[in-house]
Amino acid sequence: MKNEETNTGNYKPKRRQKPNVGFLTVILCFLTTIFLAGCSGRFVGTPRAAMLDYQTNSTYGSLYSLALANAQSLNDAVKADTLHPGMYAEYGVALALMGHDGEACRMLNAEAKAFPESRLMVRRIKERLLPGMVSDTLVGSRDTADILRLQSWAYDSISALRPLPWVAAVIDSTDTVRIMQQTPVDSIEYPIRLTANQKREMLVQEQHKAELQRKAVADSIAAAKQAKIDARKQAKLDKKKAKKEKEKARKAAEKEKKRIAKEKAKQREAEKQRRSEERKNNKQQKEANG
Amino acid sequence: MKRNIFLLIAIMPLLLCSCKGEKKMVKFNELYQQEPSVIYVAPLNDLSARHAVRESADSVYNASLNIASRQLYLTASDPLTNLGYYVLGPLASAQLAATEHRTGKQLRNDNINDLYTNLGIDAVLFIDLLSWSNTNNSWSASVEYVLRSTHNGSEMFHVHVNATKMLPTDYKGNPKPLKADIDFAEQYGCDLETAQRCRMVETLNKYVLKDIPSGKRARHQQAEQYSKPHPEYFNLRIRRDGSVEMLKDSEL
Repeated sequence: MKNEETNTGNYKPKRRQKPNVGFLTVILCFLTTIFLAGCSGRFVGTPRAAMLDYQTNSTYGSLYSLALANAQSLNDAVKADTLHPGMYAEYGVALALMGHDGEACRMLNAEAKAFPESRLMVRRIKERLLPGMVSDTLVGSRDTADILRLQSWAYDSISALRPLPWVAAVIDSTDTVRIMQQTPVDSIEYPIRLTANQKREMLVQEQHKAELQRKAVADSIAAAKQAKIDARKQAKLDKKKAKKEKEKARKAAEKEKKRIAKEKAKQREAEKQRRSEERKNNKQQKEANG
Repeated sequence: MKRNIFLLIAIMPLLLCSCKGEKKMVKFNELYQQEPSVIYVAPLNDLSARHAVRESADSVYNASLNIASRQLYLTASDPLTNLGYYVLGPLASAQLAATEHRTGKQLRNDNINDLYTNLGIDAVLFIDLLSWSNTNNSWSASVEYVLRSTHNGSEMFHVHVNATKMLPTDYKGNPKPLKADIDFAEQYGCDLETAQRCRMVETLNKYVLKDIPSGKRARHQQAEQYSKPHPEYFNLRIRRDGSVEMLKDSEL
């Protein structure tokens, strides 16, 4: 066909098409938006999801997630001025259950200050969870710093088992803290990843626990074995000692016997001599008389 | 003159219709008088039966029901908070419940005035999960809600609901889950059936508890006094698209 066209002289070379810049820009913008949306996924799910998870599996990992979710929602609520009743208390109780008593007390006090009707309930919770801090009324500031501190605690306690490589806390120019994921993941996929991470963490903790238990059992068995061996050795030693003492006593008794026999023999000999001398004397007297 | 008479005749049925039925102001008279501000959600009283475990499917089913019942308790505080009441969250409430020496039945029937004097609680919300049931393409839960005053022990709100969730199906009748259910399952890390049950109880809580008159902090408290409350016994149907419909027994 082309040849025909050249032959006939109707052929026109095709113009090289310019790339459609506008279209490419639109696609780029779209992709960037999707990427950014993926990056802006929250660190943890909602407090409700974390709470349900904690109620289903009450482990340190799920408690940690719950505390972090509460911290995040508290932080968001304070920033947006939409603080609900019980938010400080939930975070405070989670911290208290994790063993961070000082911070927990401050959060519970903040709840009592923000909602005075909760004063008596907060007191009861403090009596139960923080009996030594009932009269402590120092109020904590919510703040992103708590999240950071919480993370460092988590690092302290969990890092021995598993580091959290997918989270980073960044303080920007306005002094606000952003929890960012180091690897951007899809926002829908992220909660699944979170639960998977939680499960992995729980598994690691359980394995660690089981290992510790196994070690403890093995240690106790080894200690019992060692004690048995020691007891046997001691018994042997005692037996040997007793035998030696017995032998010694027997030898001493034999020696004594021999000594007594010798003395008796000596006495007998002396008696014999005395008698023979007497007899001799008697004979001599008889001869002298007779 | 004639025109006025016609107008009156036209307006009269409308006026009569609007006067028909009890208003919230009358039904929740005690609640309006006492004006509680602090509500404590008592631990869920789960009276529903579980399968006897004979095969693995039974334990999966039971686990699904357990999660859904937990979700029923966890989501009960949100609607009340939105109404302007002070409600402690579930984790803190669990700590309070641990200090309580009385059983759920005793709390429900005995004098609970000490909760007001010791903890400052004005009312206690009791939730009884009575039963779960499954039919071909629907799941049902029967739940009873009671709000009891700690001042005089009276019941300020009492509702018995039978909620039914119609499971979405495709044109062949095969189950076709909603996107919201899938999202829920992914977010909470549970299976689809559990997600559907959880969403059902969440909707149920929202629908039933929003009928309680708003707390004194709410701005629209005066306006809603003239609205019509839900009946004491009713059926709730959650349609395939997720919308909610209240039915009388005869409509089922």
